[in-house]
Amino acid sequence: MNYKSGICTFCGTGCGHLLDVRGNAVCGVFPLQNHPVSKGRLCVRGWNVHELLNTPEKITTPLIRKNGALAEASYDEAVSYLVDNLTKYKKNSSDEIGFLASPRSSNEENYLLMKLARSVVNTNNISLDSDPGHRLSLDVMHRGTGMAGMLGSLEEIAKADFLLVVGIDITKQNPIIGSEIHMAARAGAKLVVIDTRNTQIAKLSSRFLQIRPGAYRIAMAYLAKVLVNENLADTDFIKKYTDGYDGFASSLASLKEGDVAAKTGIALGPLQEVARDLAGSNAAMVFFSSGISGFDRDTISYIYNLFVLAGKIGREGCGVNPLTGINNLQGSYDMGIAPDLLTGFQPLSDAAVQDKFNREWGVKLNSGPGKSVYELMTGGNRLKALVVVDHDESIIRNVDEISAMDFVAYIGAFQNNFMNYAHVVLPIAAYVETDGTYTNTERRVQLSKKKVEPPKDILPGWKLIADIAFRAGAKWNYGSPADVMNEIATLTPNYSGISHEKLQGTFGIKWPGGAPRFSLEGTRRKVSFVPTGTNFAVPVASEEYPILLSIGESQHYWHQNNLMKKTAIPLREYNATLLLYPQGYVAISPQNARELNVRDRFPVKVVSPYGSMEAMVQVTDKVKPNTAYVAYFVHEMVTRFFLEHKDVLKRGEDATIPVRIVKV
Amino acid sequence: MYIINKSQVLDIARELQKEHQVYGPVMEKETRQVMFVAVDDIAELDLSAPIPAVPPKHAVFPHFERIMSYTYDRRNKKVEIKPDYDEKPKALFGLRSCDLTGIQCLDRFYLGQEFVDEVYRNHRKKMFIVTNTCNAPFRQCFCVCTDSGPSAHEGYDLNLTDLGDQYLVEAGSEQGKKMAERLSLSKADDSHRKRKEAIVDKSVSMFDSIAKDNKAWISRVVNRVTTGLIEEKVWEYIGDQCIECGACAFVCPSCSCFNIVDPVTGIDSADRMRTWDSCSYEGYSRMAGGHNPRKPVEDRRNKRFFCKLSYSQSKKYLRPGCVGCGRCAWVCPGDIGLPNVVTYIRREIQE
Amino acid sequence: MSEINNTTIPEIATIEEIKDEIVEVKTFYFSFDGRTDGKPFTFKSGQFVMCTVFGAGEFAVSLPPSPEKDRFHLTVRKVGKVTSALHELKTGDKVGIRGPFGNGFPFDDIKGKNVIYVAGGIGLIPLRSSIMHVMQNKDKFGRILLFLGARTPQELMYQYNLNEWKAAPGFETHITVDNPVPGWDGETGFVHTLLKKADIPVKDTVAFVCGPPVMFNAVIKELTDLGFGEDCIISTLERHMKCGIGKCQHCSIGRTLVCTDGPVYTYRQIKTLGEQI
Ligand SMILES: Cc1cc2nc3c(=O)[nH]c(=O)nc-3n(C[C@H](O)[C@H](O)[C@H](O)COP(=O)(O)OP(=O)(O)OC[C@H]3O[C@@H](n4cnc5c(N)ncnc54)[C@H](O)[C@@H]3O)c2cc1C
Ligand code: SF4
Ligand code: SF4
Ligand code: SF4
Ligand code: FES
Repeated sequence: MNYKSGICTFCGTGCGHLLDVRGNAVCGVFPLQNHPVSKGRLCVRGWNVHELLNTPEKITTPLIRKNGALAEASYDEAVSYLVDNLTKYKKNSSDEIGFLASPRSSNEENYLLMKLARSVVNTNNISLDSDPGHRLSLDVMHRGTGMAGMLGSLEEIAKADFLLVVGIDITKQNPIIGSEIHMAARAGAKLVVIDTRNTQIAKLSSRFLQIRPGAYRIAMAYLAKVLVNENLADTDFIKKYTDGYDGFASSLASLKEGDVAAKTGIALGPLQEVARDLAGSNAAMVFFSSGISGFDRDTISYIYNLFVLAGKIGREGCGVNPLTGINNLQGSYDMGIAPDLLTGFQPLSDAAVQDKFNREWGVKLNSGPGKSVYELMTGGNRLKALVVVDHDESIIRNVDEISAMDFVAYIGAFQNNFMNYAHVVLPIAAYVETDGTYTNTERRVQLSKKKVEPPKDILPGWKLIADIAFRAGAKWNYGSPADVMNEIATLTPNYSGISHEKLQGTFGIKWPGGAPRFSLEGTRRKVSFVPTGTNFAVPVASEEYPILLSIGESQHYWHQNNLMKKTAIPLREYNATLLLYPQGYVAISPQNARELNVRDRFPVKVVSPYGSMEAMVQVTDKVKPNTAYVAYFVHEMVTRFFLEHKDVLKRGEDATIPVRIVKV
Repeated sequence: MYIINKSQVLDIARELQKEHQVYGPVMEKETRQVMFVAVDDIAELDLSAPIPAVPPKHAVFPHFERIMSYTYDRRNKKVEIKPDYDEKPKALFGLRSCDLTGIQCLDRFYLGQEFVDEVYRNHRKKMFIVTNTCNAPFRQCFCVCTDSGPSAHEGYDLNLTDLGDQYLVEAGSEQGKKMAERLSLSKADDSHRKRKEAIVDKSVSMFDSIAKDNKAWISRVVNRVTTGLIEEKVWEYIGDQCIECGACAFVCPSCSCFNIVDPVTGIDSADRMRTWDSCSYEGYSRMAGGHNPRKPVEDRRNKRFFCKLSYSQSKKYLRPGCVGCGRCAWVCPGDIGLPNVVTYIRREIQE
Repeated sequence: MSEINNTTIPEIATIEEIKDEIVEVKTFYFSFDGRTDGKPFTFKSGQFVMCTVFGAGEFAVSLPPSPEKDRFHLTVRKVGKVTSALHELKTGDKVGIRGPFGNGFPFDDIKGKNVIYVAGGIGLIPLRSSIMHVMQNKDKFGRILLFLGARTPQELMYQYNLNEWKAAPGFETHITVDNPVPGWDGETGFVHTLLKKADIPVKDTVAFVCGPPVMFNAVIKELTDLGFGEDCIISTLERHMKCGIGKCQHCSIGRTLVCTDGPVYTYRQIKTLGEQI
């Protein structure tokens, strides 16, 4: 049988597929009907994955920069070169060395990279290169329930009779989850969408509330307040299973109801009805995403608390579900790709945890907290050596700092612009060329088996990292990725019991211990309401900056994504937008377009109190008057404009910036 | 008409294997998904398996296929082009009737119009086809409405029907007859034929009432689609649910759209690849410069159903383009497979 | 069934000369390196070929009649991946050619009639093919009028042809630009506005129209108002094309495939295609 089962490598949904393997090539793909998540469906990305796997744009040999140009080298030379350079900075490793890991690497590869950084190079400066925002959701879920992941189950979407989708264009970002929600709605579930834009899922919903950018938090708080005011909170549940209610209640008390309609742009009536529908449902789920296109911590906390208040967690068909946009984003955090975390969300600062790792790894870990790598590049910090794995975009931020770095190593399967800044490039096998596990957005750990041989002499990532460690003097002993997983399982309570052997022939095992969802049974601790802020300010437009700009993703294609650029059909689809708007676009309403006297594709300048950028306008009735939307793929925005606003965005305003748009 | 013992039915495939690459239904062991694939080990073939998830069209129209490769030496101004087709004849074994009809649609489209598609002809030539009657419909089948099953009428070399302990073997061509004789199959008699008829009648009676109910409607819908009288809002309703995944075209036995790209394979070499394409994609009809005649997704959905259910397109296939396999309903994330679309149009007509 | 045998594999040709037309538009003169079918290359005005730029891909391009026997030319505007790659090529470089494909202009049906051409922008490329044919057989036709619109004077293509045609007896040209520049003393405004002002024969006249959809619709309206029958308006349509032989279906419009049924259609046909053009 030339069709071999596997999992889609693109987004966090983790759909099952069969790859048509002939000789040493993947010639086609087909959906897996019995897969519990995707049930025989794939999205446009998944349907064209073979194009990526056939791309000639792979890295096929190690390279070392000599006289300014990258020149072919052997693995031996390149690995020594890498190790020699890292050794130079090892003395000050906490300040001078950083690792940027990829949310697309397998659990095994990320685990080993993390182990290499901490136990061999002696630095805790390891962080994710893309989409680190998911961490905010994990923090909130972990603080509230002890489980750092999605609380519900994708398989149970059909069991919910109330579905809330907040601020995510889900049929584009995680299309198969969007499909599952759509199917549930068709079967009778109430589907409520709250978004700044009239997205596809909004069109398919039973109720769509178009909210002003930056007002999600206050809307969520108000929903909770309605539950309290109308005695709709699940008091039995709260008494029996939760703590921290009083704190939450006092946050809610400071919400002035009179402001809500004006701030959210939604009348109170519909919001109250949504709250009542939520309370009255048997089982309810909420979906959102965090990070660049998603919410700040406080908004997530309100969403979470709202569902605890309604008693809608810990049961079948219930859950608070932050979604991951990239296939192994969840797994990356599970593997401790964060300065302050070891595997399974175990804090590095916990002495008992440190002891356990010291014992198992036979080292003495650097106990100083690490720093996020991008932070180490800026603001007076001086990172000197950087190791990057599989950069996911073709845009690179902080180019000036990176090109000024003493040493940059790039490890990856596919060619990427990051190579231009690298002093050494180490190729690794692509995901179908080696075994590995990936953890999808619902904590489903799935095994992807090797299907084809890597290009001649190319090492799989786990082997390369082990070779680097060996060269640096460490004595690791792994015969295969399965061995790595065994070690992960011993060190990580959530992954305990998971092994390649057990995963073989299954559609994955959800951590912890195969539990479909977060469960109240068997946990000794209570579920907590998480602390919430009482700042209900929303970004306001002024005469000078009359338009509220929000930021998010565009279409299915994570614009400027390195993998998408290596396909044909997804690339064509992506180009359909990119060729129309080569500098990227700012979506504005027809009314604003008339006022500005611009038509579709006219160039404009977007000016904020902190900076400006140029882009074309896209005129669409998807956005409301006096709001604008910019997709996270405008080159200038990612590299410059956005960085200028880092602080604003951090303050937690749902990534909303008041701007003025002028015709140029 | 001949008879073969159940235990020997795969001997037909073994005989075919001598000169053909045999394709047939195989159940993938771990996932239990049935696929119609090229097999080397004939014992893997499973005639009792449900309708394969993937239609056999990839045997004649692969998902991703090199049609030529070339080198272009810019400095010395030299170009060399090599056509690159797979030459080995193929045998399709255990094809379901709807899927055979799908291949017939492809034949008429690729071979029967103004031009002959050389790439397709190459896959199709010297092919041997063995069909397999469906003793019971599978989930979502509606071939009874589209006149393409549950048993094949024509176009096969051999047609098998499971009579319990034996298979009835009908020869539909000279080639088929020769094969039956080469295998020295014993002749069937009238009682066998009667048993087959009873089996087919029973199978027809087992279709979902919705499938049977739709039968009369399909022709009215065809009429409606052809004349373009369906209201815009019906297409909008359908288009709103499409997530533009392309699946409906990929799994359809009669969908034939492809894309062509020339990926570079070396410093001065490239391949010309042909891949499945889908009219649901926005870039499918977009023209250089940005004009897209089918920009709204509902226009693209309208197009697909025009292709499946209009007289104009039927002229190319000499039958409606939909062969009632139900696959697009399995795979559609938007729940707008063909049967549902027929239902929506039907609802509109009734209103 | 068609006689062409290069439906899949292109014939190799050499670029012999490249001429700059206007910004981003060049004309490429080429001849075949020797045809695999051994037959001379013949085609009808209005047909097109699929041109391969090696290492980049293939695109559809109309084939104007050629004054020379073995030398042909294509005028190509740089708009995307493949056309940009073509613009990079130098004389002596190779291209691949499949075709000719498509139906071509119906000259036999319109003998003896007056001919009006209305072109917008690079819509002149296909219409030029027709004009060249008509000019070569001028005695077979009545009055010949050309209405041409471009965005700016710089974007007026084929100046050398325009000059030559203008000079030809019995050929009337009307040219307009949307955005005049200082020094432009001709008409300004969209091309359909010229039709109102001019003295246009309607009886025994066929109109060839080609240009972007907005212009097309405006011109059609003017012409039908003037009394042109739907059969007397002829256009060539453009669609995304991949195969040129009626198989990939990228070029479908309703019930028709532009590559095999077209690209030349009468307005009556266009109206009944069953889809927007
Ligand atoms: C019958 C016909 C005659 C034509 N004649 C000419 C001509 O004489 N001169 C000229 O400059 N242009 C002509 N065109 C348009 C020309 O084919 C496109 O501009 C060209 O395909 C763009 O290719 P690209 O790769 O540069 O653009 P991209 O935007 O990169 O397009 C990628 C691919 O999409 C397809 N495609 C995109 N747009 C078109 C389109 N408008 N038409 C056909 N295929 C398209 C092609 O396969 C192309 O390779 C003609 C088109 C048709 C259909
Ligand atoms: S939804 Fe995600 S995992 Fe599923 S096919 Fe699409 S990209 Fe792949
Ligand atoms: S349209 Fe759907 S049901 Fe009909 S043949 Fe195609 S895939 Fe099967
Ligand atoms: S399968 Fe469904 S969602 Fe996918 S393109 Fe077809 S109609 Fe649209
Ligand atoms: S170009 Fe392929 S069908 Fe017309």
